[in-house]
Amino acid sequence: MWTKHNKVLLSKILLLLVMLLVVMSGLTTWGCVGGLRSVGWSGGVIADGTIFVGSLEGRLVAVSVADGTRQWSEPLTVSSSTGAFGCTAASMAVVIYGTPAVWGDLVYIGGYNSGKVYALDASSLQKRWVYPPEGNLQPIVGGPVVALGKVYFGCYDSDDKVGKVYALKADTGVKIWESSLGGGKIWSTPVIDGETVYISSFDKKLYALNAATGEKKWETAEAGGAIASAPAVYNSTVYFGSFDRYLYAVDAGDGSLKWRSEVEAGKWFWATPIIYNHTVYAPNLDGKIYVLDAESGRELIEAIDLGSPVSSAPVLVDGSIIVASEGGKIYAIKDNQKRELKDLATKISAPLCASNEVVYVHTQQPDTLYALNAQTGAELWHVSLSSE
Amino acid sequence: MGAIWDLIIFKPVLNVLVVLCRVLFSNFGLTIIVLTIIIRGLMYPLTIRQLRSTKAMESLQPKLAELKKKYARDKQKLAKEQMHLYKESGVSPMGCLVPMLIQMPIWIALYQSIMMALAVAPEGLLNLSRYLYPWRVVYSMLPLGSKFLWLNLAAPDRFLLLPILVGVTMWVQQKMVMPANPDPKQKSTTGMMLWMMPILFTFLSLQFPSGLALYWVTSNVISIVIQYFVTGWGGLVKSTAGEPGGRDKAYKKRIAQVEVGPSEDADVGADIVEPSSTQGGLGYEKSGDKRQDRGGGYPASLRRIRRQSRRSKGHRAKRG
Repeated sequence: MWTKHNKVLLSKILLLLVMLLVVMSGLTTWGCVGGLRSVGWSGGVIADGTIFVGSLEGRLVAVSVADGTRQWSEPLTVSSSTGAFGCTAASMAVVIYGTPAVWGDLVYIGGYNSGKVYALDASSLQKRWVYPPEGNLQPIVGGPVVALGKVYFGCYDSDDKVGKVYALKADTGVKIWESSLGGGKIWSTPVIDGETVYISSFDKKLYALNAATGEKKWETAEAGGAIASAPAVYNSTVYFGSFDRYLYAVDAGDGSLKWRSEVEAGKWFWATPIIYNHTVYAPNLDGKIYVLDAESGRELIEAIDLGSPVSSAPVLVDGSIIVASEGGKIYAIKDNQKRELKDLATKISAPLCASNEVVYVHTQQPDTLYALNAQTGAELWHVSLSSE
Repeated sequence: MGAIWDLIIFKPVLNVLVVLCRVLFSNFGLTIIVLTIIIRGLMYPLTIRQLRSTKAMESLQPKLAELKKKYARDKQKLAKEQMHLYKESGVSPMGCLVPMLIQMPIWIALYQSIMMALAVAPEGLLNLSRYLYPWRVVYSMLPLGSKFLWLNLAAPDRFLLLPILVGVTMWVQQKMVMPANPDPKQKSTTGMMLWMMPILFTFLSLQFPSGLALYWVTSNVISIVIQYFVTGWGGLVKSTAGEPGGRDKAYKKRIAQVEVGPSEDADVGADIVEPSSTQGGLGYEKSGDKRQDRGGGYPASLRRIRRQSRRSKGHRAKRG
């Protein structure tokens, strides 16, 4: 028999449980605790008529550039070890930030929460190898790159408290070398130019390594802030933007400073700049594209205002710089004039990619890939990257 | 609304947090502790008001219970008598709520700032930039280091020490707030709250970055210290039951006034309402005059209730 007292007690317990659920859901949604949840912003890479992109479900998706037909890999998952009392799911989807890389019949992708690099068959999307085979590295944010039969990627090593660059055999995933850098995290994708690997670090430095041995060739003096984006190499000069809101140009041979931009941007340089026709186009989170002379760092024109932060790396298509703002607008910049191509009205953080005058845009909300004509902005097709 | 929140509360707290981190040798753990102490220090007057009001309300509970019993069937009369009692005692029922409501936005902003500054996920760091002031020191400091003692502040404590500390400190703080001799009817509720909140926050600490747990522990410890100086160990130590504990003279004076009745200079900062000298025919003499009323500070109507109540209790006891 339920007495009145027991009923009151039960209702109070239920009320507390509801409170607990409300607090838990409130804390775990972004509205309350911003930035706790990793989502991912993988860009795309094109090879043999197929664009490969990491989806928000932790899958590698292969989309035909001709008609947008899709093929999904099995979801990449990671065992959850952070949950307490066994309340968290046993496995969760791998979050993918880096753009995949293609070499031969393999596609490579880095996992943020899994701390692993995966090689998948380009046609069947079946897993070929995983590095490390056992255990995991720290979160991998930047993407892998492939050159000279090696896969290069960077991440932080919390045990040694240093950033590291790894080189693996592209076909087997066996480690060839690892190189320890400074004490900062590494979020950028390495850039290969000839025999040199360039990589930036949160320790405010840019490093150059011998691509064959991993031996450090040089490191720059400290910039004023962390460097999150990959550098750009052009005419024996390496260009990069920093969190101190300046752009830097250093000599590719010895890392000596050529110039630091006169202009100080409004916010961080997050995306990789693009250099074309002796001009640096550097997107910034203040919503502007800074246009500088590649030789001197002098500002050529007043920064082009896009009205919304730019965290997505631009691409060069037929003499036009195609750039996307976080607000979802796609612009073409030619002769220092901007022209709006398309308003997708959704958040864009992933780097753009382009081929044959078509630009491909991966949006996160919803998880969709768009193909746009780079001249007119006309939508050729769009496909959901969600498997459901 | 969101923009106003960011402009007035969130951005200042976040940017101060980053600058303070620079001053404190880029040690973000130390920064969390120091900023929590600073903000709790700035909020001290409000905290004190809240604590005193809460305890003063608590001391009125027997009288309120008697009123409820007396006017169980006349809600209107009950409300009127309750208001009389509050006014006579110089206690405002909102006295403990208002300071808490004022403090809430600051806590939320501090909490949000810590989570944002930790930039647990890449999206967090990307979002962070839009909340920064255009100060060079702020831009060049980020991202902040997340190492502190054995902790990675951006991840849950692997050794479970911090979640346990969160639970223990919260339990102690809750226990101190609880009355030493709670009303038996409320005992189950208060007992449940005493355990549920620490369990809830321990659980959350196991799931969330330890930077947040560090903030909770620091905040709890500060609450315990303030609570001790205001009301003593409260429900934590039974020997203090029935006595105004702590070292806070203002609080002791407040409680004494509630017990013996209010005077014209009754306001000690805890309670908003000035005691009325004319309400309901319950006037008092001028300050400094010897009080004629010997009713223990209870209004005449309440003294009658108490006498009737004592008589009826005695009668029932004999019957029993």
